[in-house]
Amino acid sequence: MIDLKVKIGTLRLKNPVLLASGTCGYGKELSDFLDVSMLGGIVVKGISLEPRKGNPPPRICETPCGLLNSIGLENVGVERFIREKLPWLRDKGVTVIVNCLGNSIDEYKELSGRLGNVDGIHALEINISCPNVKKGGALFGTDPELTFKVTKAVREETDLPIIIKLSPNVTDICEIARACQEGGATAVSLINTLLGMAIDIERKRPFLGNIFGGLSGPAIKPVALRMVWQVARCVDIPVIGIGGITSFKDAIEFFMAGATAIQVGTATLIDPTSSEKILSGIIDFMKENNYLKIADMKIVD
Amino acid sequence: MLQKRQILRQKVLSNTEIRPNIFLLKVASPEISVSATPGQFCMLRVTEDKSNDPFLKRPLSIHWINKDTGEIQFLYRIVGRGTELLSLIREGEEIELIGPLGQGFKIEDKEIPIIVGGGIGIAPLLFLADILRGTRGVVILGAVTKSLLLRLGAFKESGLEILVATEDGSFGNKGLVTEVFDRLMARLDESDRKRCMVFSCGPFPMLRALYHLCKIYGVKCQVSLETFMACGTGLCLGCAVKAREGFLHVCKDGPCVDAKLIDWEG
Repeated sequence: MIDLKVKIGTLRLKNPVLLASGTCGYGKELSDFLDVSMLGGIVVKGISLEPRKGNPPPRICETPCGLLNSIGLENVGVERFIREKLPWLRDKGVTVIVNCLGNSIDEYKELSGRLGNVDGIHALEINISCPNVKKGGALFGTDPELTFKVTKAVREETDLPIIIKLSPNVTDICEIARACQEGGATAVSLINTLLGMAIDIERKRPFLGNIFGGLSGPAIKPVALRMVWQVARCVDIPVIGIGGITSFKDAIEFFMAGATAIQVGTATLIDPTSSEKILSGIIDFMKENNYLKIADMKIVD
Repeated sequence: MLQKRQILRQKVLSNTEIRPNIFLLKVASPEISVSATPGQFCMLRVTEDKSNDPFLKRPLSIHWINKDTGEIQFLYRIVGRGTELLSLIREGEEIELIGPLGQGFKIEDKEIPIIVGGGIGIAPLLFLADILRGTRGVVILGAVTKSLLLRLGAFKESGLEILVATEDGSFGNKGLVTEVFDRLMARLDESDRKRCMVFSCGPFPMLRALYHLCKIYGVKCQVSLETFMACGTGLCLGCAVKAREGFLHVCKDGPCVDAKLIDWEG
């Protein structure tokens, strides 16, 4: 009998497939197509203390096997999230992980404190890696000391499991992951998008309104997989794999690299039911290969 | 539990080049034909290739629907690799699509509909003209030259009055659709103008000029917007356009919106 359940600290997931932040709205947007509650959980669109309008258009650009975006964390703000978005998720019995973004350590603290007291939130994913905002975001995630400080500050503010979402735009991903572990993180999730750009040669200017954007999709999977492999071997806390997962085969690769769970991101934009298909593919693969638990798939080296 | 919406796989009835680089795609989709309203769109997968390249589906507005036969049509121009691959799909093959999506045009019974389309922007307007059959409506179609004027015969079948503008004067009025619209408004009296509702789709400068005329004449105006889209379903927030206040998301707030909500100078 296959056991799909995974544990991330005190967070219990019924299966290891999560929806990645920024690609699934606040859950309800997907519900026309998908029963979100059948997944391990949802990481909702990044939330900040105040609402954010996001970046000027164009915000997206297709690239070979990928997508550049510079959405800029457009979101309704924490109070409207709690009032208007969370009740639906709670009613449906969805495991909710809230992606949090602050401009300063104090803001991360205030945000996690606010969310930590609300019924229906099961964990926080601390976004220290968004490449599309000027302040906060990637500034924290590329500096081990700031990563440690943010993690510790949030840890002291809430009892919820804390997942730190890491940026791939660093020289040594293990140094950052270790800083998370030392700061008291429950887990790390990686990777966020790779910083990139495109130029419109007809208009002779950068394609995206924000000049730079974050690259996602199948194009970044090899990079993500390599970083998950590294991080899974340099920290003891669980690793959640993200980056270009579009089929169950991709998900299995991440489990073999050492991921405890995975997030489906950009694939949901092309096919809103991707996560469901990936989950059923994982189950079939485990049956065919006599795996009983997700953790059994990790390659021992 | 409610029936979930499906990602449809439907049979292609034909995919024909009706003018250089302009294609009319006919798909058998009873599901979409019964539920769609004029102005809505679908996301179409342009290739069956499993290589994830191109990665995104392409948004195309619904050109026309035959509710009796379940046939839906898309009119598109080859503008890049995605639409080029789409043009290679042949009769009898299957195509993956999601729809209908977004907000269509808002139609009120007592209004006098004025449909204004430029170039490939006439795509969402045939379905609308067909629905408005039997009204006092007027259709203004524009193109650079006669050979680029699209679907004139199909629009005539709606029975609405048709006015044509070509920039080089090779057919109909010489000039722009906005000039034809201007003259049409000038000859209506105040009370008729108040009852007019303009429905438009075309290049951004045309829509902007049209909106300014509508403001001068005190006429209401809805436009169908086009942007780059990743998901088409409200998930990514990538299709933002500048609005008077903040942004509008073309996939969920549109593609058809009240023209006064848009920041036309942005």
